[in-house]
Amino acid sequence: MNRLISRVSEQKTLWPWLLLLPLTAYLIVFFAIPLGQVALMSVTEPHVGLENYEKVLTGSLYRKVFINTFMTAGLVTVCCLLVGYPLAYLMAHTSDRRAMLILLLITMSFWTSFLVRTYAWMVLLGNNGPIIWLFTAVGIADPPHLLFTRFSSTLAMVHILAPYMIMNIYSVMKKIDPALIRSAESMGARGFSLFRHVYLPLTAPGIANGSVLVFVICLGFYVTPVLLGSPREQMAAGLIGHQIEEFLAFGLASAMAIVLLTITLAVLAVYHRRFGLDRLWG
Amino acid sequence: MSSYLRLSGINKTYGDFVALDNVNLDVAKGEFVTFLGPSGSGKTTTLMIIAGFEQATRGSVEIEGVSLSGLDPQDRNIGIVFQNYALFPHKTAADNVYFPLQMRGVKRAEGLKKAQAMLELVGLEGFAHRYPKELSGGQQQRVALARALVFEPDLLLLDEPLGALDKNLREQMQIEIKRIQRKLGVTTIFVTHDQTEAMSMSDRIVVFSKGNIEQSGPPLDIYHRPTTRFVADFIGESNLIPGHIANAAEGVVESPVLGTCRYLTNGQPSVSNGDEVAVVIRPEHMKLSRNPIEGRSNARMTIDTIVNYGDNALVIGHAGEQPIRVRVLGADVVILHEGDECCFSWTDDAVFLVTS
Amino acid sequence: MNTMMRWFGVAVIVFIAAPLVIVVPMSFSTASSLQFPPPGYWLGYYADYFSDPSWLRPTWNSLFIATCVTLLTMALVVPATFALVRHKFWGKGIANLMMMMPMAVPHIVMAVGYYSVLGQWRLVHTHLGVILAHTCLSVPITFLVLSANLKGFDQTLERAARSLGASPIQTFIHVTLPILRPGLFISALFAFIQSFDETVVAIFISGRDAETLPRKMFDSIRQEADPVIAVISSLLFLVVLIALVAPHVARTVRRVIADRRVTPTISAE
Repeated sequence: MNRLISRVSEQKTLWPWLLLLPLTAYLIVFFAIPLGQVALMSVTEPHVGLENYEKVLTGSLYRKVFINTFMTAGLVTVCCLLVGYPLAYLMAHTSDRRAMLILLLITMSFWTSFLVRTYAWMVLLGNNGPIIWLFTAVGIADPPHLLFTRFSSTLAMVHILAPYMIMNIYSVMKKIDPALIRSAESMGARGFSLFRHVYLPLTAPGIANGSVLVFVICLGFYVTPVLLGSPREQMAAGLIGHQIEEFLAFGLASAMAIVLLTITLAVLAVYHRRFGLDRLWG
Repeated sequence: MSSYLRLSGINKTYGDFVALDNVNLDVAKGEFVTFLGPSGSGKTTTLMIIAGFEQATRGSVEIEGVSLSGLDPQDRNIGIVFQNYALFPHKTAADNVYFPLQMRGVKRAEGLKKAQAMLELVGLEGFAHRYPKELSGGQQQRVALARALVFEPDLLLLDEPLGALDKNLREQMQIEIKRIQRKLGVTTIFVTHDQTEAMSMSDRIVVFSKGNIEQSGPPLDIYHRPTTRFVADFIGESNLIPGHIANAAEGVVESPVLGTCRYLTNGQPSVSNGDEVAVVIRPEHMKLSRNPIEGRSNARMTIDTIVNYGDNALVIGHAGEQPIRVRVLGADVVILHEGDECCFSWTDDAVFLVTS
Repeated sequence: MNTMMRWFGVAVIVFIAAPLVIVVPMSFSTASSLQFPPPGYWLGYYADYFSDPSWLRPTWNSLFIATCVTLLTMALVVPATFALVRHKFWGKGIANLMMMMPMAVPHIVMAVGYYSVLGQWRLVHTHLGVILAHTCLSVPITFLVLSANLKGFDQTLERAARSLGASPIQTFIHVTLPILRPGLFISALFAFIQSFDETVVAIFISGRDAETLPRKMFDSIRQEADPVIAVISSLLFLVVLIALVAPHVARTVRRVIADRRVTPTISAE
């Protein structure tokens, strides 16, 4: 029946585009044009030519920043996975009530503005904060400097992005039919081999989803690295902002933005070919 | 038969796919007609064309001589009970039933009174203020029925409404729907793929296959006098045994399995000598015995499997290459064994011919 | 193995919860800089927040902008979602991709573009400029939430309404809209939050006049770490907590009321 209905509506091709028209026009004006402007500025500011790209792709400062961005995004993704997978597993295998409470906590964290969360880490890791206080309480006289380092920004990003990972993996784990695990056990799989050959492949889609999301968001992260990170180890988004705020170097900032965008879209395209993008946020 | 609803020459195509091919049907006022057929046979498409949700490529639908073509579904005054009931989840039972009256401009107080009366008729007094999700499957079914009837529709369409119910409830609802339909005298078209449902409820069954009406008639006619191979196969169980006409005038068919077999000539399709036909004998019209029975036609078979149903049993065997199914009384099954050779017998009036 | 896992789980929960919990005592602290444990408690910074126009103005700006963004986003996205979920047509795949694109582009990239384009159009540092930019960024999430809801909508209900005598418009008003109301509300909420929380684009284009709360917080954290931030953080945290817990409470209350209501239990079957 549904097949028939869809065939009928396929014939009326004008109506859906009429409904889409306002949004399409809007996105062209307020999305495509600004984005096009970035691309344009990258080859015209201050002079027409590819000199901005030449600088961005060959200059040692910029290369260092992009490598740093990539490494940080990778590190944050791995950390999120290490933190998120076991927790998702525990949630999927504990009582419903307890899982609900943990889920409530994670949603709360997810919904709390990441500015608030970044600020909270500033408090936690600050020189007069509770962690330093703990260090001195234990008797370590010269506690390490935690704030405004690579460590603090990475830690905060892991905290901010972990909910994406946990929710993605948890929703996949929750759908695994327990009978499947039991039947694998009945066939002699146990312990690590059960995990390696049955559970891990079954949860792989959740891992892939969560990892791609965390990685991609992390690549373009601005606020947390700028506020918590070391000024000497900037990430790409931070440097783009810096170029504009300090030097009004629109051409250079645009070229970096286009490189960043290309990398992001490349990651998403790989994912799209493998799994289909529509599943990523669904 | 005076015609109340008339479908004439209805065709429906989707691109190259022919969903309905020249469907013609007359339904009398107050009649309960069942569309029976496998999925994809066109029965639901026909229903949707009557309701106005699909447009026929060719042909017309008329009620009392007035064409419905060009009328939107809301202007056709046809009540429909959908497969999944389609009750509005945000409205109570009473408000669901009031909805068609509301659309017709009936005041709320008066409409709710009518809705209440209709709910009582379907046996749901006291449930008016429940929401659909607070009702059982059978109760939801009754609300859907009340909603489709409250505005006194010219026609009631039921699209496989009992499919989601369990067996006991389904039988109960069959009786209920029949009772309510009789009481209100509303002309009804019921779509199903379940033949027992069709048999127990209908005044007339219309068998659909591949976009065509295969046969149309009262349930017992359809059952006992199938005119096509498809109907014989689809309705009930049949033994379809190949043969050819030896003497069309006297009613003699020659079959490699049955030998010379006589049949009653009236009520059979028109055949002439030498025609290839299929001989239909229902399993319950056959008897099994060790030796041939006097006064009946006999042939031999070997028993392969016996399936016991308690009060009766189905004996599946073969005569040559031809599988034979015989239904016997439960008490008789004890003397039969798998692997035995035995006689199966029938009388002339149990034999029907279908042309292939 | 199992006990180890459990302790690890507890550690992760502490890791996630600690930053959320820490800001609340900080907001009552008497210290003028970040200090833990607080030397004393008072409500002074709450009073500061509610009396300081340099904090209140961005708050109102954010609320105003997010409200406008919600209305504009819904007006654009609702018809588009109906088209994309309900119809098959040429170019549907492209249209789908188009809806999702603003989510795939890092906000800093869009910020550079908006800074330049809105500058040319003289919309930079205006409310309207921020609203227009934020609406664009709110489209994907609103579309995702709404389309998930719309996909779950049983279209037989609309057919039923039509067969019962409702015109297409009546069907939309009496059946489609009420049933989709929770989905519409949730997707509008997502649009609102997307705008209310958006920081990067706002930093670059909102300026002094249209300064949003996240921008003000960002500047404040970067420059002086004003203790009022702890107050705002606690308040925002409280709002999220209420929003998450309220439905549970409402459901419990409704159940208690429903239990008290004497319902006839005669079965019809």
